[in-house]
Amino acid sequence: MSIADQALTEDLASRDDMIVCKGVSKWFDDFQALKGVDVTVKDREVMVVLGPSGSGKSTLIRCINRLEVHQEGSIVVDGIELTNDTRNIERIRSEVGMVFQQFNLFPHLSVLDNITLAPVWVRKKSKVEAEQKAMELLERVGIPEQAQKYPGQLSGGQQQRVAIARSLAMEPKVMLFDEPTSALDPEMIAEVLDVMKDLALGGMTMMVVTHEMGFAREVADRLVFMESGEVVEVGTPEHFFTNPREERTKLFLSQIL
Amino acid sequence: MTDIAMTPQPPVDTTTARTSPLQWAKVNLFSSVSNTIQTVVFTAITLGLVKALLGQMFSEEADWSSVATNLRLLMIYNYPADQIIRIWVSAGVVLFAAGLSLGAWRVEPGYTVGRLGRHLVGVGVFSLVLRLLLPVHAPDAIRTGLVVVGVVSLAIGLAVRRADSSGNRVMGFGTVLGGFAVVALAVLWLVPFGQYGLVDGVRVAETGTTVASSTKVPWTILLIIVVLSHRVGVLLGRLLGGSLRAALAAFWVIGPAFVIFVILRDPAFDWAHVWSTDIPLAFVFALGGGLVIYFVAAPGKSELARGLGAIMLVFSVFNWVAAFFGWYPMLQKVRISFLIFAIVVMLVPAFAGDRSTRRRVAGGWVAGMLVLHWLITAINTESTLVITAPPFLGGFVLTVGIAYYVMLASFPLGVLLSLARTSKLPIFRVMSTGYIEVIRGVPLITVLFFFSIMLPLFLPKGMGISDLAAVFAGYTVFSAAYMAENVRGGLQSVRRGQYEAADALGLTTVQRTSLIVLPQALRVSIPNLVGQAIAVFKETSLIAIVGGFDLLRIANSTIPNQPDFLGQKRPGLLFISLVYFVFAYSMSKSSQRLEARLKDAQAR
Amino acid sequence: MSEASTSSAIRYGTTKPPLWRNAAVLKWFAQLAVLIGVLAVFWFLIAEARTNLAAKSIPVGYDWLDNPANFQLGEGIQTVDTPERALTMSRALWVGMVNTLRIAALGIIFSTILGVLVGISRLSKNFVAQRFSSAYVEGLRNIPVLVQIILWLAILGSLGKLTPETGPIPGWVIVSQKGISLPRVFLADGFYQFAALMLVFMGGIVVMRRQLKKRQDRDGGDQRIGLWTFVTFVISAVVAWVINPVMAFLGPVFGAVEDAWGAVPQAAMQILLSVAAVVAVVAWIRKFLDSKRSPAGLAKLTDDDWFRMIFSGFIGLVAVFVVVKGWPGLSSWIINSGSDFWGVLSDKYGDGRGAKPFDAMRPTLTEGRFVNFGDTGLTLTVFYASIFLGLVFYTSAFIAEVVRGGILAVPSGQSEAAAALGLSRAQALRKVVLPQAFRVIMPPLGNQYLNITKNTSLGIAVGFSEIVQVGQTVYNKNSQTLAVFSIYMIFYLSCSLSISAVVNTINRRLAIVER
Repeated sequence: MSIADQALTEDLASRDDMIVCKGVSKWFDDFQALKGVDVTVKDREVMVVLGPSGSGKSTLIRCINRLEVHQEGSIVVDGIELTNDTRNIERIRSEVGMVFQQFNLFPHLSVLDNITLAPVWVRKKSKVEAEQKAMELLERVGIPEQAQKYPGQLSGGQQQRVAIARSLAMEPKVMLFDEPTSALDPEMIAEVLDVMKDLALGGMTMMVVTHEMGFAREVADRLVFMESGEVVEVGTPEHFFTNPREERTKLFLSQIL
Repeated sequence: MTDIAMTPQPPVDTTTARTSPLQWAKVNLFSSVSNTIQTVVFTAITLGLVKALLGQMFSEEADWSSVATNLRLLMIYNYPADQIIRIWVSAGVVLFAAGLSLGAWRVEPGYTVGRLGRHLVGVGVFSLVLRLLLPVHAPDAIRTGLVVVGVVSLAIGLAVRRADSSGNRVMGFGTVLGGFAVVALAVLWLVPFGQYGLVDGVRVAETGTTVASSTKVPWTILLIIVVLSHRVGVLLGRLLGGSLRAALAAFWVIGPAFVIFVILRDPAFDWAHVWSTDIPLAFVFALGGGLVIYFVAAPGKSELARGLGAIMLVFSVFNWVAAFFGWYPMLQKVRISFLIFAIVVMLVPAFAGDRSTRRRVAGGWVAGMLVLHWLITAINTESTLVITAPPFLGGFVLTVGIAYYVMLASFPLGVLLSLARTSKLPIFRVMSTGYIEVIRGVPLITVLFFFSIMLPLFLPKGMGISDLAAVFAGYTVFSAAYMAENVRGGLQSVRRGQYEAADALGLTTVQRTSLIVLPQALRVSIPNLVGQAIAVFKETSLIAIVGGFDLLRIANSTIPNQPDFLGQKRPGLLFISLVYFVFAYSMSKSSQRLEARLKDAQAR
Repeated sequence: MSEASTSSAIRYGTTKPPLWRNAAVLKWFAQLAVLIGVLAVFWFLIAEARTNLAAKSIPVGYDWLDNPANFQLGEGIQTVDTPERALTMSRALWVGMVNTLRIAALGIIFSTILGVLVGISRLSKNFVAQRFSSAYVEGLRNIPVLVQIILWLAILGSLGKLTPETGPIPGWVIVSQKGISLPRVFLADGFYQFAALMLVFMGGIVVMRRQLKKRQDRDGGDQRIGLWTFVTFVISAVVAWVINPVMAFLGPVFGAVEDAWGAVPQAAMQILLSVAAVVAVVAWIRKFLDSKRSPAGLAKLTDDDWFRMIFSGFIGLVAVFVVVKGWPGLSSWIINSGSDFWGVLSDKYGDGRGAKPFDAMRPTLTEGRFVNFGDTGLTLTVFYASIFLGLVFYTSAFIAEVVRGGILAVPSGQSEAAAALGLSRAQALRKVVLPQAFRVIMPPLGNQYLNITKNTSLGIAVGFSEIVQVGQTVYNKNSQTLAVFSIYMIFYLSCSLSISAVVNTINRRLAIVER
């Protein structure tokens, strides 16, 4: 069994592959950020990526929707391989949603316009239809009353929830979360994590970079531990938090817990 | 000078309403030895300079009737006198739109009653000081005038300050505008400027009467139009909101051209040709192109649109090559239309969408094509007006017109250049950087000379360009480089995360640029762009060197060559200095207010 | 789930997109297409201009530079043809350039002084000072500089007639409608020897300062570095004044260099330039590859990287082609002008030069007119004076704003912190506030200097013989517009580049190291 398929329960193993990374390497000039990473995410799986800062975990998920371009190996998302093919890039981008650490809402657009932007311009939906959908999503993340406000008028937690709604509006098959709670004040973290938990329960395929161990333990199907650009260990939460195999994993968990 | 404030200072103690003048003077003028020295030194310098300036204005040789007689020349140059109603109508149209816009965008200067009082007192005191410094040759009318203005504004100012003790009440823009109009009307009808004019080729200076009624009545109407249209703008703005503003924005882009070619120039259309060629062509391009655009804007047709656009682009480029070698004849209009059509088709996938979006895109194309064809036809047609001494445009109208259209034309060019300069594509970056740095490295005058002398040389046989158009092209090319640098500042302020979020949502590069990046970048660069508009306005004076009859040329060579006013340069030059100052200064003041408003909006 | 991933047909990492959908190919194709398009447009235009010029039988090239000028210049280091020195076209253009630089340099100095004074007084707490400087700034910067220049010309033109007695101090300061003249100090024959000698002495002074500094750091106390520097400087200036003729040996040395340059064969220069181009390209590619290299080996190169390297190689080939085939004159031009440069230097140190480095003169008139250049006072013709005054006042208003903005940009916390440390107000200003303000001021100040240099071209409006005006006279004579415009461009670009190089160097020196 390859490292990518470690710790697959029977249920997971029977599902289709959603994201397959094989031997993914990435250099920033002379610095190698990813060293032959092998990871597989199954359909409807929640995978949490752990690791110290600079371990390449953000780079990995940024490669998956081609915000960064990997130089070796292959990444296949839902059967579409990420290459220089413009058509494939377009398809991947509209199927993979991404939530950033810094929210990255568009400050010159209202909350509603932020959410309807991509459905209207990329999915070519009508404005009315997009707005209906947007209101539903705002309802779902719990802030329908903020629709007409501008991002600058919202708190960090509210902004991040809008960002999640914005990604969901594209009806993605996969959601990537890049440290979604790191830029938030402690009292706002819970509201964002709740939304993410709902999403996971709803059967969304998710890949989450986070330091929230509680979330990882409760929601994740599998955890990946990365260090200096390599996948060190893959396992179920149970395995990780009770009996990690590698020394480096033990050290990291002891520091963070 | 040791009393340097190291922190931002509020503009000198303004709470004078509650302190006596003596106390105020003690605090602001004589608080310490160095302060007292500064007061004495700077008062002496100020008085000396003002006296020298007044000496220049009212020296024995200075004949201000040279300006008064030539006001029409300075404003509109040689426009035929019997057609002057066209000028008034155009001014009316432009001012009406200006008033509407001020109302629709709800421009508020935030002028308080206290400031009004202070300004009036300042004007009063300054006029009285001026009166004291007047040289002996100054005409009596000026002496009495200064005293009257000084006393009246001092009295009103003091009264205002007494009436409104807090001084913090904000005056609405409508009130300010109305007040200005009342004062202007009073001056217009009451002050005996004297009537000057040509009677049988002889200049007549008839003192004692007021401004000729030929200008008094139109000015009155114009002032009323401005005040009323502002009110209308406020009301309509509340009713219609965004659509009124969109309509006004469209007016400001094509309106002035419309005014020039319909009202001022009145093209002598060859109607037979228009019916047989121009109109059919315009409709073929508008409707045919519109249908194609509506078709390829449908979702899922993006690759078709790009392919079609690329083929069209090759074809239209080939048309231009053919033009240079004279291979086959084709109307220039058709070449331009094909080129624009190709570019639009290539860009259309980015703005495609559901039926209503497509309808809007296609509608925009139809309207744009019709306007473009009308404009080209109008430009290429002779005017019905007979101008005795060309050029057609001159004076203040030329100055403002050139400045306006140079800004308008260099804007898209500048934005493209700045995008190329900040792009990740190395060849684009190098080309645009080279263009910007070379143009910014050389003086404007060499660029203007280059275009007015070299452009005709570069053109193939049978193609020509008028002097003014060549100068305009050169000025646009020059201004675009500066525009690009100003926009680049804004582009650099857009954070990386914005690009990433747009990419992650699947927006294409064109969509990302036009929907996310540019709106944010342009907002940041507005103050710099206004600064550039001021610079462009001021530097139109260089047109005088390359042969245009702008304000400077008229004041510096036309008037001093008139037999009546041989060598009278100083009054004219001082007068146009004042004109330039008033416009540039008010633009810079409003840009400061705009900047403050944007900062507030950002902090929201 | 799409059937693609369930079928085993897909082999990861092997799918290659077709060319028309390959992002890297499209990107480079678009760039090259635009580049070729732009080059083609230029080519068309230049071809068209050549045909049009040929139709008027105007030769294209720079051969006319050595022709006699056949016109007079308004003012400058040489205005008419003399038996000693012919006024050729190139000489006339050179005179124009010197005039431009003269105005620019003086304008920069005076507008800086005036601007700093006004900018600081705008921050004064004194009501009159503040209002005066606000009015100064707003008034001057909102009136076009060209209008101001012409207004100055009109005002100066209305002054009294020119006689030796016109002006505030008869015989010493002349202010008239022909211009302004003051006593002046000028560079005499011995200056270049003197300057060379001073350069040698300055080296010694720098070494001495370093020694003193070292001692001060080691032993503490005040070693009077400033005083010592000043004293040595004065002494060496006096010594150099007396013995400067010893440097005359430099003349033959430069002469030898001139001959050596002139003797370089054209083929050698071509080879040298080609080799330089190739070396530059190779160096660039190596540097590029190095940046992709890590201890673990070379990173995988993307298509983009390959395109870049191929493109730069192509550029190198084009450069070699231009040097060898396209423009053989380039090499001989470099040889000739290099040799001319050393020739000029050798002249400056040649025979009959030496003795006094500086001299002084009072204003003199010959035949009731100013002497054009040479043994007379410092004369500003009305043209010079009007453009000088116009530029200085206009630019000083902008510099005042730059200075004010720079001082305001220093956070008030800085002066508070300095006060808390016990620094006096003057010390705080000198050691804390001004150094920080200077950093903010420097870039826009450099911009203003560039503007002054470019605005000297407005001299054409008042008939001042600066480069643009002289160039216009030239192309009106011989229709060599294209060549003259290329000279304009090279001249102004080199001015801009040198000013921005100086400003950037200062900026780099001043930059706070952040992280």
